[in-house]
Amino acid sequence: MLDMDQGVVEEWLSEFKTLPEMAIPSYAAGLKDKAALVSALYRVIQEPQSEFLEPVCHQLFEFYRSGEVSLQRFTLQFLPEFIWSYLCISTSRDLHSTGCIEALLLGIYNLEIVDKDGQSKVLSFTIPSLLKSSVYHEPSTIGSLTLTEGALAKHGLSRVVYSGPHPQREIFTAQNRFEVLTFLLLCYNAALSYMASASLQSLCHLSTGISICGYPRQLLRKYRGVSNRMPVSSEFLVQLITSLYYALYNGEWDMASKALDDVLYRAQLELYPEPLLVGNAIKSSLPGGALKSNKEGTRCIQVEMTPTSSRISRNAVTSLSIRGHRWKRNDSSENSIDIPDSGALSVPEISVTGVLGERVGNGETQRSRGEGEAQGGQDSGADSRADSKGLAEVRKQKSCRRVMEDGVNSPGRVQY
Amino acid sequence: MTAKKSGSRLETEIERCRSEGQWDRIPDLIRQLSVKLIANDDLAELLLGEAKLQQYLKENPIKQGASPRGAKPKLMEVRKHLTAALDRGNLKSEYMQEASLIMAKLNYVEGSYREALSNYFKVGLDDLQLVGIPVYRLSMIAEAYATKGLCLEKVPVASPVSNRHTGREQEIITCYEKSGDIALLYLQEVEKALSSGIQNRSPKPGPISHEQELGFFLETGLQRAHVIYFKNGNLTRGVGRFREILRAVETRTTQNLRMTIARQLAEILLRGMCEQSYWNPLQDPPHQSPLDDPLRQASNIEDYALSRRPKVYAGENIFCPQENTEEALLLLLISESMANRDAVLSRIPEHNNDRIISLQSASIVYDLLTIALGRRGQYEMLSECLERAMKFAFEEFHLWYQFALSLMAAGKSARAVKVLKECIRLKPDDPTIPLLAVKLCIGTLHWLEEGERFAKMVIDMGEKASEFRPKGYLAIGLVYSLKATDASLRGVQEEYQRKALGAFQRAQSLSPMDHLAAFYLALQHAVSRQIPEAVGYVRQALQLQGDDVHSLHLLALLLSAQKHYHDALNIIEMALSEYPEHFILLFTKVKLESVCKGPDEALLTCKHMLQIWKSCYNLTNPSDSGRGSSLLDRAMADRRQINNMTLPDFSDPETASSSSSSISGSEPSLHFFISSHHSPHSKSDPTPKPSSRHFCDHAPGRRASSPCNPPDAYFHGFFSLFSVCSVHATSVAASRVEQALSEVASSLQSSAPKQGPLHPWMTLAQIWLHAAEVYTGIGKPAEATACIQEAANLFPTSHNVLFMRGQVAELRGNTDEAKRWYEEALSISPTHVKTMQRLGLILHRLGRSSLSEKILRDAVQVNPTSHDVWNSLGEVLQTQGHDDAATECFLTALELEASSPILPFTIIPRAL
Repeated sequence: MLDMDQGVVEEWLSEFKTLPEMAIPSYAAGLKDKAALVSALYRVIQEPQSEFLEPVCHQLFEFYRSGEVSLQRFTLQFLPEFIWSYLCISTSRDLHSTGCIEALLLGIYNLEIVDKDGQSKVLSFTIPSLLKSSVYHEPSTIGSLTLTEGALAKHGLSRVVYSGPHPQREIFTAQNRFEVLTFLLLCYNAALSYMASASLQSLCHLSTGISICGYPRQLLRKYRGVSNRMPVSSEFLVQLITSLYYALYNGEWDMASKALDDVLYRAQLELYPEPLLVGNAIKSSLPGGALKSNKEGTRCIQVEMTPTSSRISRNAVTSLSIRGHRWKRNDSSENSIDIPDSGALSVPEISVTGVLGERVGNGETQRSRGEGEAQGGQDSGADSRADSKGLAEVRKQKSCRRVMEDGVNSPGRVQY
Repeated sequence: MTAKKSGSRLETEIERCRSEGQWDRIPDLIRQLSVKLIANDDLAELLLGEAKLQQYLKENPIKQGASPRGAKPKLMEVRKHLTAALDRGNLKSEYMQEASLIMAKLNYVEGSYREALSNYFKVGLDDLQLVGIPVYRLSMIAEAYATKGLCLEKVPVASPVSNRHTGREQEIITCYEKSGDIALLYLQEVEKALSSGIQNRSPKPGPISHEQELGFFLETGLQRAHVIYFKNGNLTRGVGRFREILRAVETRTTQNLRMTIARQLAEILLRGMCEQSYWNPLQDPPHQSPLDDPLRQASNIEDYALSRRPKVYAGENIFCPQENTEEALLLLLISESMANRDAVLSRIPEHNNDRIISLQSASIVYDLLTIALGRRGQYEMLSECLERAMKFAFEEFHLWYQFALSLMAAGKSARAVKVLKECIRLKPDDPTIPLLAVKLCIGTLHWLEEGERFAKMVIDMGEKASEFRPKGYLAIGLVYSLKATDASLRGVQEEYQRKALGAFQRAQSLSPMDHLAAFYLALQHAVSRQIPEAVGYVRQALQLQGDDVHSLHLLALLLSAQKHYHDALNIIEMALSEYPEHFILLFTKVKLESVCKGPDEALLTCKHMLQIWKSCYNLTNPSDSGRGSSLLDRAMADRRQINNMTLPDFSDPETASSSSSSISGSEPSLHFFISSHHSPHSKSDPTPKPSSRHFCDHAPGRRASSPCNPPDAYFHGFFSLFSVCSVHATSVAASRVEQALSEVASSLQSSAPKQGPLHPWMTLAQIWLHAAEVYTGIGKPAEATACIQEAANLFPTSHNVLFMRGQVAELRGNTDEAKRWYEEALSISPTHVKTMQRLGLILHRLGRSSLSEKILRDAVQVNPTSHDVWNSLGEVLQTQGHDDAATECFLTALELEASSPILPFTIIPRAL
């Protein structure tokens, strides 16, 4: 450790202790600009033997406990480095004491699992449903939502818990280790936008290390460090991937894409479907070469103008254009349980004829088959033995209505 | 409609054509108009000029970023018309304004940006009315703002002072934003007019529903503002602009734009934001945000006023997302529904390009959905979404593979295997896919034949499988090992054991660093009772992975096989210090404690287990109720389908009121401790004895799916444990029903699909049975019965429960009753070795020695390593006078007993 670092760290340790309560917010706001301090702290964490490790951990925990958001974020930025340090020591079994790092990690965990009133925190979110109108849509305009059993079960919005409640933890055990670390990473991910690039880099380093240590790829990468394999959990890898996804698009393209590859490599070896799923999706949605040239660490969130007209030619058969067709078949299979050959009953020309012809047909049926319609309309769902003519008419009417609606609401590609 | 009703039908018709952009019909209409009204010359000039310009732009569309055209003969004509109209000045003022706007547009097209700007200045763009004007004029004004923005971007700033520069930039953006807003308003008005037109008039034979195109200017107006924001690193304003556009009520013309923008906004929410930097669409954006590039300080952006704005989605109860993942999901679902509608289904070559386009836009949306749902662990919903993607998926590996993985993550194993098969067909070189399939096959599915086929695929890849090759051998070894356990013929068993051992050895030689290879070698040796070899390998495994729970467990069992019970208990204690909530370890601990420390310690451990069970599963989880609790309800409702297995009856009349309808799960409402008598054989009718009451001081919650999601290895072994007493995992009815149940369950299940919702209940039942066993061991039938009753309330027809009832009956000296219980246990699980052994002995005691011999011989076939069975067989043979055979049996029993662990080695789960 350099003397200069030592001075910076010592000053930081003593400064905060003497700080009056009033001065904390302004002190906190200025912290993130102290580049020399931050890098000195990284070096302390990387050196398990450092005499400063314990007071540093202690003070970072004080920061976290203070409740001051920017102080908490200051601590949080070192989380990936702490996790890496902790995992290295705990797997290499050379029995360095990781006591203070463990205490810090568990301390943050125990603070985060409860809310202000000390109740167990349950993190939940609402799964939006297209069946319920929102600030961005109305259900009626979405068109054909298949009314499956699943869709019905989810009628309305459902709130789902994605983390918690978690029990307090006094010590790390092999059993709870990744449960705790996964939750910590979840907290880190919730504050990703506030993390400096050094923190994101440390996260990439952690991801690579945990994924390849002890595996043949470690030699390929010439990655030094522990040579033991580290056990991982699937949920932890998913959280890592979530952080890497952010890092990719916020200045750490090269490191993050390498790290993502490594995590996927490990997920494959462990045969974990969850990280594979998310990681594959990220890889397949990466933009092409354009972004990679953007190396100067800037954020690469950009959008371009896109043509607004449909790029799909009008005469191609699409899901939309055959919607009328599908309706007809659904109807008949719903209605005529014991009549397997629905073709005999349905009106084949409906899906292909234009609006005009249909309208005429429609009018006719309304005049002449009023009775049949009423009967069929009431029974069509339940009674499969209903007068077959009546049924056919109802079906025809439904399809007609469908075609009409298509004509109004949609670019109706095939009808014309 | 805002259209003026005055004037002839012809004028209305012209107005309609102008608002709907049917420029080709204008000249014709003008001709008719001029015939009627001579005074309309100037208006005709204006209209002709406009129509010709629009027609020209339609034929020669301006591309984004293209250079100006300069004067073209057709454009000269336009200029002539417009100059004529403007110069004479006979037109009404609003028509004069229109003429100037068209002139400005012409100037832009020809590249005379300053001219255009001065046109706009003269007209006074900001003073133009938006209220009570014809629809087409909205479009004109929107285009004018966009054009003005474009001109301002082209014309250099007079003085390069930075202050002026940001001012200019702001002016440009405001132009585009206004243009966009008015464009949205225009499109909404056109659509309103169109639909009311359809309702009012009988449809004309003409193309009523031709697709309107936005054209270059409106497209620019709608999109350029946010493009500039993002270019300048101002994420906050960019996101705000996106939201404004999306909040405007959809029109047919904006559908594609909305689909794109919804997707882009979702991307930004997922890639560039986090929970803490999020603000919702109805909130004001934060003043300072880490999202904005600090280097490019954006000037204070003031809001602009418009007298009319597009209609937005509003209402009392509309859903407004509260965090970034929610908003991203909502946007993606909207985007998905549109992408799905545009799926090109025809496979004829002409539509190849269309198909690729529709596939691409859909797969981006599905990838983003995966990212959003994955980080929230919603694999059940994800698998439903990806299922909808299957209409795009013909021969598309990525979509198939993602679908398979999502099914796997959602616990829908059987389907996952089928989809993985298709993935293998599409990408036969990837060793991961068959390995994933094996993992499922040897897990809950127990499809060993299929599993073997998949594992062989990996092995057949040879060197190509590289790092996955040892995994392939591991996989096939596990398949053989499980088959050996299942086999009922000794020869077959030994054959499979040999093959398994060979495969594990191969795996270890290929990957000496893999602790799993060493561990399974150890386990396999242990199962074939080669204890010293097993100890050697388990030590290797522990060197590679010091805190692996299964290795530690195996070591303890091996020590118990060598009768070092105290050492074994020490190892278990050590393992438990790292895995305090590991039930299988705890079960072994109970057994060991009854041997070395006596029943009191063992019972204490049982109590401790119940406490752990409670703290693991009783954590309340209020909001999961939506699906979670209905899950149990549905499981109850589906009970008739799975009629073999009776579940704990929650609808007991006494307890129904408190249990069946509560959704919150906040208070444990499942009183299965109140004995309800649905066991068909409640003759013994146990009243809970005080002595068992000390177990009952807890009330487990009804939430079946654990919120504290234990690591999965932790539970993997459970099924095997449950049927372990039979050593025979596959054996027929019982495990088949359990398997079916877990499948049914996982198809109903959302949050913790891996274990199936019955998992915790089975653990609980198992704890009670262990306690019962301890009580039986110390000769306390009443207490044992009470414990069994607790288990029976959960699983009345479990063969383990019936077996324990038999044990208690024997303890009470009630041989007939014991026989009945054993017979029932065997009717459910015909190869439950312990039951067979006890029944054999009872039959022997009743004097039916040939039947007894038959049963015991069967039992030996099923499990040749059970010394109890050999011993009993020896006894039977001895009384029959077959002394030689009896001696042989006793010797075998003696030999086996010397290497017998306290619990069968096979309780350790075998999984990839």
